[in-house]
Amino acid sequence: MQPGPKVLAYFLGNENLPITDTLLVSWLAVILLIIFAALVKRRLKIVPGRLQAGTEILLTFIVEQIESMMPGAGRKFLPFIGTIFMFVGIAMILGIIPGLVNPAGDINAALAMALMVFFYSQYLAIKKNGVGVYIKGFFEPIFLMFPMNVLGELAKPISHSFRLFGNVIGGGIVISLLYQFAPWLFPIPLHFWFDLFMGLVQVLIFGMIAISYISVAISD
Amino acid sequence: MNLSPELFDAIIKAGAYLGAGIGMIAGFGPGIGQGYAAGKGVEAVGRQPEARADITATMLLGQAVAETTGIYSFIIALILIFRA
Repeated sequence: MQPGPKVLAYFLGNENLPITDTLLVSWLAVILLIIFAALVKRRLKIVPGRLQAGTEILLTFIVEQIESMMPGAGRKFLPFIGTIFMFVGIAMILGIIPGLVNPAGDINAALAMALMVFFYSQYLAIKKNGVGVYIKGFFEPIFLMFPMNVLGELAKPISHSFRLFGNVIGGGIVISLLYQFAPWLFPIPLHFWFDLFMGLVQVLIFGMIAISYISVAISD
Repeated sequence: MNLSPELFDAIIKAGAYLGAGIGMIAGFGPGIGQGYAAGKGVEAVGRQPEARADITATMLLGQAVAETTGIYSFIIALILIFRA
């Protein structure tokens, strides 16, 4: 039993560019999201149909989450935050299907999203206050705190990505242990608990922490 | 005293597995912290039932942050088990 991504092939035979199963499932998630967006976009109406109404409820929920931390900026950050919410959400749902794996159980996928949030929030902080104030912020309250401030900033993407990765892989290990000694009955409710409930809570938490990092960056 | 390579590997593996088990003692901390946050959340809902949605969202966020140390120890245990 080896958790984590499995290498299926090598891109152009290069040993440094492995193609893993999590990579393929994350491409599948991207393709599904594009098809979903094209389906919803094709016939937008003033009086929404069933599909459009469901999508509007989802997007309104994400806008409300952003507005609760950054009042007035909900529509501005919806494309970025909404993409994170929907990609991680569809990744969790795809992980339940037998034969597919959860892309968030790969540290590369989780770290890529966390680094995106990290660089975007640093960019927003520089854009809002200018480079001088941004660099001066690292020397607050006294210059001796500079290493602490830099480390605190660098720890953000690490804890952000490990939180998602650790929760997904931890649930996966508990389920695979149960498959080994009681394969018939117990794993099914545990799939609902670990994959559906905890997974969707993790989606909410990953998105909320991304929102809070961005709101901290643009507040000072 | 000369150790055979097999014995040497076995000692390394035993140390790594023991270390993984001892490292997961860190699971105490997040458990206590999350339970405390949940208890305070229940108290807050009891005081202000109309603010239930806000309290639940804030509680889940706080619990996720409290979980970080547990996740770190879990990842260290994973590295010890699968890389030793």
